[in-house]
Amino acid sequence: MNWQVWAGRAFGRPGRSLTRRLIWLASAWMAVALVLTGWMLTSQYQESALRRMGYALAETIDEVVLATTVVGGQVSVAEIQDSRTLRPLSGKYWVVAEFDGQGGMRILERSPSLAGEDLLIPRDMPARLERGRTLSYTAIGPVDRPLRIAASVKVLPGRERPLVFMAGMDRSDIDADTRAFATFTWIALLILGLGLVAAVFMQVQIGLRPLFLLRNEIADVRKGRSGRIERTYPLEIQPLAEQVNRLLDHNTEVVERQRTHVGNLAHALKTPLSVMLAEAEGRSDPLAEVVTRQSRVMKDQVDHHLRRARAAARAQGLGERTPVAEVLDEMAVMLERVFASKDVEIDWRAPDDLMFRGERQDLQEILGNLIENACKWAKRRVRVSAGGTGLGQMVVVVEDDGPGLAEDQWEAALKRGTRMDEDAPGSGLGLSIVDDLTRAYNGRVALSRSEMGGLKAVLDLPAAEG
Amino acid sequence: MRVLLVEDDADLSRQLKAALGDAGYAVDHAPDGEEAHFLGDTEPYDVIVLDLGLPKVDGVSVLERWRREGKTTPVLILTARGAWSDKVAGFDAGADDYLTKPFHTEELLARLRALLRRSAGIASATLSCGGLRLDPRAARANVNGEPLRLTSLEYRLLHYLMMHQGRVISRTELVEHLYDQDFDRDSNTIEVFVGRLRKKIGADRIETVRGLGYRLTALPGESEAA
Repeated sequence: MNWQVWAGRAFGRPGRSLTRRLIWLASAWMAVALVLTGWMLTSQYQESALRRMGYALAETIDEVVLATTVVGGQVSVAEIQDSRTLRPLSGKYWVVAEFDGQGGMRILERSPSLAGEDLLIPRDMPARLERGRTLSYTAIGPVDRPLRIAASVKVLPGRERPLVFMAGMDRSDIDADTRAFATFTWIALLILGLGLVAAVFMQVQIGLRPLFLLRNEIADVRKGRSGRIERTYPLEIQPLAEQVNRLLDHNTEVVERQRTHVGNLAHALKTPLSVMLAEAEGRSDPLAEVVTRQSRVMKDQVDHHLRRARAAARAQGLGERTPVAEVLDEMAVMLERVFASKDVEIDWRAPDDLMFRGERQDLQEILGNLIENACKWAKRRVRVSAGGTGLGQMVVVVEDDGPGLAEDQWEAALKRGTRMDEDAPGSGLGLSIVDDLTRAYNGRVALSRSEMGGLKAVLDLPAAEG
Repeated sequence: MRVLLVEDDADLSRQLKAALGDAGYAVDHAPDGEEAHFLGDTEPYDVIVLDLGLPKVDGVSVLERWRREGKTTPVLILTARGAWSDKVAGFDAGADDYLTKPFHTEELLARLRALLRRSAGIASATLSCGGLRLDPRAARANVNGEPLRLTSLEYRLLHYLMMHQGRVISRTELVEHLYDQDFDRDSNTIEVFVGRLRKKIGADRIETVRGLGYRLTALPGESEAA
């Protein structure tokens, strides 16, 4: 099986294929799980970076608090060692402010790095600070950089009204890191996802392999390569294989029963026909003639229709294989004995491993009638040769050294009810039965002239392969 | 000539008895398998006409019993079942000819005449080699009592080998004695027939003597009387 077929089975419409259904289901579930995982990882990464920044901001606030002195209600902040708070617009800032008593804030001191600018103070900040003692938020700072800002309320000795200490830091590095991490994470998860889909695909292929094998075996049975399902399958499929075998057995049984009924009917009708025929033969009045003629017609009709019924009951080549050499041998032994008074010799050749794809009784019927006909007309010799042609076909040639038939009679001889042998013994139906049965097996029979002088019948029949 | 007619249908029996009587046969009639077996066993018939569908014991079983007991009387079977598988079964049981119902009475008489001619023609002693037996009168052979199914060429090959058992026979000699003038005298085909015969009688009975030919021998441990 090539990969296009696999891929087609895996990614076409999901409704029709088990492989597709399994792969789609697994893929959908994995996609949900992987997206959730990616989202959790990136948000966790960002949060921990912000938390670390929060610690740094708290430390800056502590330093500013330590550097703050209150003299006579007047607030002053000594210079802090951190150079980033000194260099203008460095990205690290602090502010000391107080509530202005009207729901706003008034800035008292700011870091030199702010270069006279303010830190953005949200309108609801005073209210929120009065409820809790600290808060943090993100705002746009000087030169439009995103800032992370922390604020904390402290009461310093020598001053009644609380002071609000704020520190801010540029967070664009953290954002860049988070983005890089997210990109990496999504790529990694995508690769993982594709890998998992591939693994599921393999697993489904291996898991469903017994089903494909079973399908091939059933195809083999249909083509006549084997008679039954013989492999042992996993627990889940074995019952299916057994049911298929049981169905095959049942089929054989039905065909067999049909055949028995047909045989019984033939027997029941033919003995009375014999009686009528024998009774009429002894006389020469018109009634006897009619009875003779009509009994013969009845017999032919019974033969023909019973054989047709049998052919219809036949399950087409369901695993049946018949060794051609065996059938030729039993026919040769029997017919040489039947035609012993003529000393007919049947020279047959067939490879031991040549198998007819069909039922033994049908091959007996086809070859029996053809060889019997050849024996009937032969002077001394009948030659039968059989061989496979490859491609699931075989050819059987039956020839005799008798007078043969004229070319314009070849086709008529195969038609039902034509009697080429009013005088010779036998029913005269033989060749039409051969034609009927051969057709039932999608085969062909053709008549022509043999090198030996007599009639040559060439049969094309299905052969069992392998 | 005495003939045993085994047929269960009363009308057909009456007709056949009359026809056989007119043709000069002394006819005994058995309407079922049991009586047929008894009569065939006790009376010296020249030929037997046996219907296969019989009450009590069917025709094939009766025939098998006769053949097992060593009866070689020629038997013509009448069968309503025209299928070849039924005919093959009849021959496996030991029949010499068959007729499918319905048939012409004259044809039955002609077949009986042919059977009688055949069985009266040759009269030589039974040949044996170890467990192999060949009866040239009935043109039948068996191995340890099991009837062999042989084509005429295989039969002739076995016959010739048995007449010269113990001696090495070359392929050329076999070709000369087995084929008549018109046959392709290809000595390779002898190998094909020896191969088929070996399959039927047991591979070890025919020994290949390299460069010389074939030799038929009894198996070690087999007595002539077996």
